[in-house]
Amino acid sequence: MIRYLLGRAARALLTVALVVTFAFVVLRMSADPALVILGPEASPEMIVAFRKAWGLDESIFVQYLDWFRAILRGDLGISMRDGRPAIELVAERIPATLALTIPALMIKIGIGIPAGIWASLHRGTMVDRAVMGLAVAGFTVPSFVLGLTLVLIFSVWLGWLPSGGQDNWVHAVLPIVTMGVGGAAILARFTRSAMLEVLGQPFIRTASAKGVPWGRVIRGHALPNAAIPTVTMVGFMVGTLMAGAVVVESVFSWPGVGRLLVVAVSHRDLAVVQCILLVVAATMVTSNLVVDFLYGFLDPRLRSGARTGGH
Amino acid sequence: MIDISRRALIGTAAAGAGSLVLPRFAIAQGDARPSITVAVQKISNSNTLDVLREQSNVGERVFFSSLWEGLIGRDWLNGLKKVPLLATAWRRIDAQTVELDLRPGVKFHDGSEMTAEDVVFTFSRERMFAETEAKNRSTLKAFEKIPTPKPGKELPVEVPAAARRAWPDLIRVAASGKYTVRFVNATPDVTLEGRLSRYGSDIMSRKGWEESASYLDWARKPITTGPYKVVEFKPDTHLILEAHDDYWGGRPPLKRIRFVEVPEVASRINGLLSGQYQFACDIPPDQIVGIEKNAGFEVQGGTILNHRLTVFDKNHPVLANTLVRRAFTHAIDRQAIVDSLWAGRTLVPKGLQWIYYDDMFVSDWEVPKFDPKLAADLLKQAGYKGEPIPYRLLNNYYTNQVATAQILVEMWKSVGLNVQIETKENWTQIMERSPTRAVRDWSNSAPFNDPVSSIVAQHGPNGQQQQIGEWTNAEANQMAEILETSTDHETRKKAFRRMLEICEREDPAYTVLHQNATFTAKPKSIKWKAAPAFAMDFRAGNFAL
Repeated sequence: MIRYLLGRAARALLTVALVVTFAFVVLRMSADPALVILGPEASPEMIVAFRKAWGLDESIFVQYLDWFRAILRGDLGISMRDGRPAIELVAERIPATLALTIPALMIKIGIGIPAGIWASLHRGTMVDRAVMGLAVAGFTVPSFVLGLTLVLIFSVWLGWLPSGGQDNWVHAVLPIVTMGVGGAAILARFTRSAMLEVLGQPFIRTASAKGVPWGRVIRGHALPNAAIPTVTMVGFMVGTLMAGAVVVESVFSWPGVGRLLVVAVSHRDLAVVQCILLVVAATMVTSNLVVDFLYGFLDPRLRSGARTGGH
Repeated sequence: MIDISRRALIGTAAAGAGSLVLPRFAIAQGDARPSITVAVQKISNSNTLDVLREQSNVGERVFFSSLWEGLIGRDWLNGLKKVPLLATAWRRIDAQTVELDLRPGVKFHDGSEMTAEDVVFTFSRERMFAETEAKNRSTLKAFEKIPTPKPGKELPVEVPAAARRAWPDLIRVAASGKYTVRFVNATPDVTLEGRLSRYGSDIMSRKGWEESASYLDWARKPITTGPYKVVEFKPDTHLILEAHDDYWGGRPPLKRIRFVEVPEVASRINGLLSGQYQFACDIPPDQIVGIEKNAGFEVQGGTILNHRLTVFDKNHPVLANTLVRRAFTHAIDRQAIVDSLWAGRTLVPKGLQWIYYDDMFVSDWEVPKFDPKLAADLLKQAGYKGEPIPYRLLNNYYTNQVATAQILVEMWKSVGLNVQIETKENWTQIMERSPTRAVRDWSNSAPFNDPVSSIVAQHGPNGQQQQIGEWTNAEANQMAEILETSTDHETRKKAFRRMLEICEREDPAYTVLHQNATFTAKPKSIKWKAAPAFAMDFRAGNFAL
């Protein structure tokens, strides 16, 4: 098991390295930050001075080596727009993003999984159709459409909730609901599909035929076996906690990591974009590692497979 | 301060999102003045409030007239004419020198009085120019002590570059009394007063600078003389300004102004309609009708000191022929663009100039007339055979940019020009020098009321278009030099007209499409007038409920 996890961890590190290297190259190939930050009316002298000050007049290879050395020292660079360390800028936005994404994740799990289980246990009934209808609507409506619709209803028409900003907890209600609804819909569909697949398995029929009460069959046999795809999806959702709110943060003017990313990309604030991608990639691979670890707990076959070399 | 929310029914919606409208003004207890929230797309591109670092239109909105003030100002609500601001009078000593009398009793936000010492410091190497030199300066450098910046107070590289662009030949600012200063230029320059009124020549407190721990600390909370002072600036989020009650121009009418960054247009409009914001800025022209269907709201604003252009690269094999570029200019029905995409709320200007140029404005000049037949004839004379001409385009960097481009391509097509749009992601790709660079979009501003600030600055020998190798013309460059150095009004005006003739007719470097405009939505119950600029004037006399 340890060897299995070490292998996964090594792959995770490689993934993070590839992601940030890719971002480094693409960002520098796609635009000159001097022109983007200073604007099209900037004088040639301003552009030259800016490039020199930020080392952009060096070759991309030299820039990469400098950047890589700095990372090894724990220096993730300075924001060209802000003049402060990029990690500082990102760190101060993380609480705002988590203030949305964690409650949204709880809504996704708290509503999505029970709804999926309920629908699967009432397959073909009106309940099932209603839940799945809502689920399809929930994940097909883009989050910006849902967000703006909620603003129209609850802010413009009813005047109950603010349309954006981050003054107090009330401002978080609409963005959390917007994010939660879509994720809950996806989880409901995943959970239902997984449950239906498991419920059709011979061991469920066997347990039932042996006289095991239906409640115990569901809790003891169906749910644990149906959990793997659901855990995978939840793991993915946990992985996107940092950058999963890009659109919603823009719609609701919520000053989190997602909005910082949008602004940093549009201004080619290289250090900030790279820092965010590093944090996001690290979160995602860590989450995947945890999911891999959970697979081992949920499915003994994987555990033993890992012990015998991962076959 | 304890804010009490007050809701008032403004009106009913006429359509769509129109509904009950509840604008809320925070009224401070013990201070009857209201506080307002202004939703903008962007507060500051540079994340600072330094006029020399934030050289953008969005910066102008929060800076003027709320925060920063110059010695000579602009009358924002009356044709942008030059008006006394922190200086009460000025006079020419000679062609290179201007002397100004400072307004006594002006208080900075920290309560200290503005004196000539602050003005001298504002234009110092420590604050503005660092180690840059005046363009035409030939002596003295060796004898002058260039101070080493204190740790943390080093100027970002953009600042001295922007300062030198604004003041290319300024060699000295000296106090000749507590309330008198002299600006000395290396060469004769009739635009010194204009430069004093321009964005970036605004006065700051020396004490405020010296007491700040770092440049960034200062640039986030500069101590200036404006009617409002900075309480809190959270980049990319909000800027809170509070009334500076010792303001020399009278007690400000608002207790607080909160600028909030709301990047999405729909969110700004919804916030306005729900009463969360009192002003929603950067409203696209196609949203004006929808907002004004709500009886309680109106959209104000209009033209700004910025023209949209189509720019030519005369090195392109097809565009090397002047006749082809001239055909481009005559094939455009500019008024149709203004009417269809701008709801008629901007105008087609008289070339690359603005009325506020005053006696330098060439009033009988016009953009090339819309004449498809003439355009087709010019192409025939040029022997143009329909070779493709690339048009590098950004995705709506400018308002209505893509729609304008599509209309232009159809207009050009109708006279026989085969123009092909190539969508690009950024300015680097747009400007990249290659055989496929031919036509692109641009806009030009006029930071002060003289052609030197626009046609010379952007299309003259040191302007971007020539620097990136798109276009040059020896005679136009001679005219640019005359405009920069001559002190004779008639000679300068003649040179300007000639430069317009060359750049817009004889050897087109660009063609002007229309004047740019900006629009702000607000409840009708607020008595406030928009300036013909991004600047929002919230001084006494321009805000009432």
